[in-house]
Amino acid sequence: MLKLMKYEFRKTMFSKAVILILTAVAELAYLVGVFAKIEDTMGLGIAGLFMCAMIGIFYIGIESLIVFHKDLNTKQSYMLFLTPNSSYRILGAKIVENGIAIFAAGAFFAALAVLDATIGILYIGGLKEFLDILGEVVKSIQINIDVQPEHILMTFLAGLASWMMMIVTGYLAIVLSATVLAGKKFSGFASFLLYLVISWIGSWLMSLVPEMQNFYVQFGLMIAVAFAIILVMYAVTGWIMEKKLSV
Amino acid sequence: MEFNSALPIYLQVVTAIKREIVSGRIALGEKLPSGRDLALMYTINPNTASRVYKELESEGICFTRRGLGTFVSEDPDLVKRLREEMAQELLEQFLEGMRNLGISQEEAVELIRKGDL
Amino acid sequence: MLESREITKKFGRKTAVDHVTLRLEPGKIYAMLGPNGSGKTTWMKMAAGLVKPTSGEMLYKGEPIGVESRREIAYMSTEPYFYSWMTAKDVGKYYEDFFEDFSMERYQQLLQSMELTEDLKTKVLSSGMMAKLKIAVTMARKAKVILLDEPLNGIDLMARDQIMRAVVESAAPDVALMLSSHLVDELERVVDSAIFMKESHLIEVSDVEKLRIRQGKSIVDRYREIYGNGGEQVC
Repeated sequence: MLKLMKYEFRKTMFSKAVILILTAVAELAYLVGVFAKIEDTMGLGIAGLFMCAMIGIFYIGIESLIVFHKDLNTKQSYMLFLTPNSSYRILGAKIVENGIAIFAAGAFFAALAVLDATIGILYIGGLKEFLDILGEVVKSIQINIDVQPEHILMTFLAGLASWMMMIVTGYLAIVLSATVLAGKKFSGFASFLLYLVISWIGSWLMSLVPEMQNFYVQFGLMIAVAFAIILVMYAVTGWIMEKKLSV
Repeated sequence: MEFNSALPIYLQVVTAIKREIVSGRIALGEKLPSGRDLALMYTINPNTASRVYKELESEGICFTRRGLGTFVSEDPDLVKRLREEMAQELLEQFLEGMRNLGISQEEAVELIRKGDL
Repeated sequence: MLESREITKKFGRKTAVDHVTLRLEPGKIYAMLGPNGSGKTTWMKMAAGLVKPTSGEMLYKGEPIGVESRREIAYMSTEPYFYSWMTAKDVGKYYEDFFEDFSMERYQQLLQSMELTEDLKTKVLSSGMMAKLKIAVTMARKAKVILLDEPLNGIDLMARDQIMRAVVESAAPDVALMLSSHLVDELERVVDSAIFMKESHLIEVSDVEKLRIRQGKSIVDRYREIYGNGGEQVC
């Protein structure tokens, strides 16, 4: 599994490097702006960093689908399907690698944001002001944690569920189109249409969850249903790959 | 080595080895390559190669020492015998060819005598 | 060892392999013969598990083709399939990562004998070099079944000899080898039997030496008889 993940990472390394380089450029602009006190450059840097974070994370998700499409519809597919790995494992490696990549990217951009904010405040505002702000930030986080630590968990779970739902829906759509259309010209477009149909079915299933009095019970139920749907789609995708798909 | 398309490949290799023995390129008592190496030498099927040795053994040309390999027979008459056998074969082919051309045995002998041999 | 029972594959309306029952025995080398489109490649891809049969079954040691069979069956396709970022070295590492029977030492030895170097980028290889690389990496596995689809395609005469030698070297009493080709007489000397495919059907399986002993015919002669002038040129 780790070996499969290594190669999944290798396939997307180039675009991840591009995102990093663009981020570095934006970061440089920001730092130059801060230290030379050029507000325009600084603003440009901040905007660039935001763009890199948003588009970067979004693209890492999308690219996973693009790679999967290529892995099924080109001769490159032999690389995966000649190896003694079951389709479930191949799929699993793809999902886990992509999950790690997205969360790592999220953590990286969050850390960068904190660091940049620190530098900005420190340099422009001076140490004293920074410590004051830091104190306040810490206080506000403290309050947040004190009051509702479960919110963090809930946000995490909701994020995880919606990302997995998207990726597994995408995989199922791609596998279906590859199996039925066998790598024909329109398989990409067909995958997209299938994606829309499957997402619609997914959200229709989600809408069947009855309304509860208690918000937490409601939330828990939604998450459970979402993961159940994800699991079923994963199993169906793996089964089709294993039994029906010719590459 | 090129192979004739009508004769079994193993027989063609057998003939080639006999020629090597007659010409002295393979000495009496010499160890022959393993079946696998023989297959590699002639780029032939390994099963064909072991059939070559089976045939050579049945003709008394070589023998197998358990665990040591296959060796050419040490019989001093072997070369003579093989030479005669092969000469006989060639002669038969030659005469057959001559007969097909309508040349009698006497005429053929005459031709050989006149030929620059 | 590896057998197909009444195996059939249809691609849309086209039938690529039609009710083929065929059995490969260990210790034998087979030539899979027939013109393009006769079903050779599809049969081999089903044995490798890349193509799923429409009906019938493909069994390895009595079990359907799957994860387990892929550990012991090595397949080389005609088309290049390596990731575009790979060098010859990366290709070897990939095989080492996934196949327990892969020998890096043997791989390097085969690369050298085919005059390839590890730093070559697969993206820029000529078709002849790519063909040699595919063979090197496939033959560096000590697989129990080795299926080579058109191993001589696009390969110059000198390298052909290298490949045939590698084939003979890989032969063993517990190994079954299959080579597909339309270069019939290149293969005849190294194979035990020839499998003739025509228009998605199996026509016959002939033993090379038996055919010569009993009928005084070579596989090349038989090939001409079966395909007439419709078959591809015999070089």
